[in-house]
Amino acid sequence: MRLEVKDLRKSFGEREVLHGISFVVESGKALGLLGRNGAGKTTTIRILMDVFKANSGEITVDGRPFVTKEFQIGYLPEERGLYPKKEVAEQIIYLARLRGMSAKEAKDNLNYWLKRLGVEEYRNRKLETLSKGNQQKVQLVQTLVCNPEIVILDEPFSGLDPVNSQVLKDVIQELIQSGRLVIFSSHQMSYVEEFCEDIVIINHGEIVLSGYLKEIKREYGKDRLFLAAEDQVPEILAGKITEQFADLLQVAAVKKDGVIVKLLDGITKKAVLGRLASADMELEFFGNYEPSLTDIFVERAGDQV
Amino acid sequence: MKQFLWVLKFELENYFKNKSFIIVTLVLAVLAAGMVAVPSIIGGFMGDGKTIDDVSDHGNNDQTLVGLCDENFSIADIRELEEKMPGYSFDVHDSEQELRKAVETEDIAAGFIIRDKNTYTYVVNNNSFDGLSLEFKEAFLLQYQQEYLREKGLTAEEITAVSKPEIVSDMEVLGKDSVNNYIYTYILVFLMYVLVIFYGQMIATSITAEKSNRAIEILVTSVNSNSLIFGKVLAGAVSGIVQTVVILGSGMISYGFCREAWSGQLDFIFQIPASVWAAFACFGIMGYLLYAFIYGMLGALVSKTEDISKSASPIMMIYIASFMIAMFSMTNSDGFLVKICSFIPFTASNSMFIRISMGSVQWWEILLSGAILFASCIAAALLAAKIFRYGTMMYGNPIKLTKALKNLKQQENATKN
Repeated sequence: MRLEVKDLRKSFGEREVLHGISFVVESGKALGLLGRNGAGKTTTIRILMDVFKANSGEITVDGRPFVTKEFQIGYLPEERGLYPKKEVAEQIIYLARLRGMSAKEAKDNLNYWLKRLGVEEYRNRKLETLSKGNQQKVQLVQTLVCNPEIVILDEPFSGLDPVNSQVLKDVIQELIQSGRLVIFSSHQMSYVEEFCEDIVIINHGEIVLSGYLKEIKREYGKDRLFLAAEDQVPEILAGKITEQFADLLQVAAVKKDGVIVKLLDGITKKAVLGRLASADMELEFFGNYEPSLTDIFVERAGDQV
Repeated sequence: MKQFLWVLKFELENYFKNKSFIIVTLVLAVLAAGMVAVPSIIGGFMGDGKTIDDVSDHGNNDQTLVGLCDENFSIADIRELEEKMPGYSFDVHDSEQELRKAVETEDIAAGFIIRDKNTYTYVVNNNSFDGLSLEFKEAFLLQYQQEYLREKGLTAEEITAVSKPEIVSDMEVLGKDSVNNYIYTYILVFLMYVLVIFYGQMIATSITAEKSNRAIEILVTSVNSNSLIFGKVLAGAVSGIVQTVVILGSGMISYGFCREAWSGQLDFIFQIPASVWAAFACFGIMGYLLYAFIYGMLGALVSKTEDISKSASPIMMIYIASFMIAMFSMTNSDGFLVKICSFIPFTASNSMFIRISMGSVQWWEILLSGAILFASCIAAALLAAKIFRYGTMMYGNPIKLTKALKNLKQQENATKN
């Protein structure tokens, strides 16, 4: 299955909040939908879920128009919510039946996911009596109870402790491996890096970066070096580089343990190494810079910080 | 359709499993049945075969002992006076002192010292509203009149025949007997008022609660929003009807068993003609649904349950106006105002019902009013579904209905373009 979003635009009143969002995601893969608060991620997801209609644009599945109700979609919204005064099993079965499951399927799936997520003991408890973490797991049960072909998770790890986060990580990996199409929105970049082959970074309603994550990282680290000196704090080192090597390098960022520099056009790493070796400094580290997703995200979406 | 039925079932269970709903229904049903059964219960204590008339005529078989002192022999026949006071027996004392002593020692409940034919003194330990004084006064007056007539050689019947001749009259009601219909019409209109206000608020609260606990996003992505709002509104309607049927039904069943004890005196309330029931069912249900859908859409426009009363007050005022017009029109059920109101959707349910129950109304008027109300219900339902879809994901301050309609129109235009 190949889900393609093309040039989505959405306005609320006079204000356009999405300015042409496009991306592609396929079965057996996870797409990381990233962006700062208010960037347009949730609006994009809500359009996918047919909560809102887009003003323009197109969503297709394998080339045909995407009709939400034709697919089983497991949706975990950013705003968590179920019935606090209802028993866990009663409300999950109700939601499963609304999504077209038979009574037996709903019950079997409920039992499976309650057990899988370690909350089977709360089956007949009112939701409001559960801890926040367990309520979050019940939310995940409602997301997965309908055997979804498409799974959309908006901040699934919020409220989970490290042990439960690990359980959820395993579940998401299983979903991807079993061929589900997963769209994953999170601010926790480490999780996105673990699951997602592709990412889309949305900023102010438009895509500022998208593509294959490994390729993005490689491209992003190209012509960049990470330098550290034994006798100098990164800020001093950055100052020295700017003073003495402005013809070779440009300081891209100062980190707590070193400096990221960008090679100027036509300059080779060998040439830089030669100049640095002859300079008055105790070089501690010289190597290719491998950016983290957080670095990429901050650079591309952190313009207003 | 399946989804609608699931929503309806779930929402109905919410009502029927709700403890306060069950308790209120049972308490009111028992109260209705109990109130109707009061004469039978009293009859049961007093012995079989007592009717309400018997109970009111001879409410107490225990004779209360009352003292009487007539030193001047002003009353010709004390036993005749005693017969005029059922429930009391006279203990005749020879002197005032003796009577006062008996009152003080509570050997007798109270005493009367007769001074002459039309003067007496009431002697009592503690004066209270027990009715004895009044009852004696009436009996004493009657005794005085009888003795006077006897002296003049006249009978009481002769005097009554002159002063209060029996006037024989008859009445033929060609239209409706509004006097007899008044009570049950009043009860049914009031019942509808309670249902609309109470269940309207419940429906709005149920929708807002799903917004405030954020379950709405899961719901609107799982189920068609039309199924959702129709299921919710109809569940409210069905629960209201069930509650009404249980409460009224228990009263009616109880009356079926206790009718004899009432001597049929409540027939005018409980033996409501089928045509009135039919009018109440048709116009009542349509009016109820019209307001329920409006309450539903208002519930979708607020995010906090505490905002509902403010948002819903305009529609509540409209319904109160409809109710007041109906109440005032009950004394003039063919008046101009009620005629006009019976064709306005918001007032038709009460006004047309009153006209059918108490006034003169043509068939075409009933059909036209019913058609207008039905069309309004459908329009309100469709609009409610759209507003619900629009309002469910709008959080923050309450949205005015006019603003919601404007935005909805803009949205539709934008999506079309």
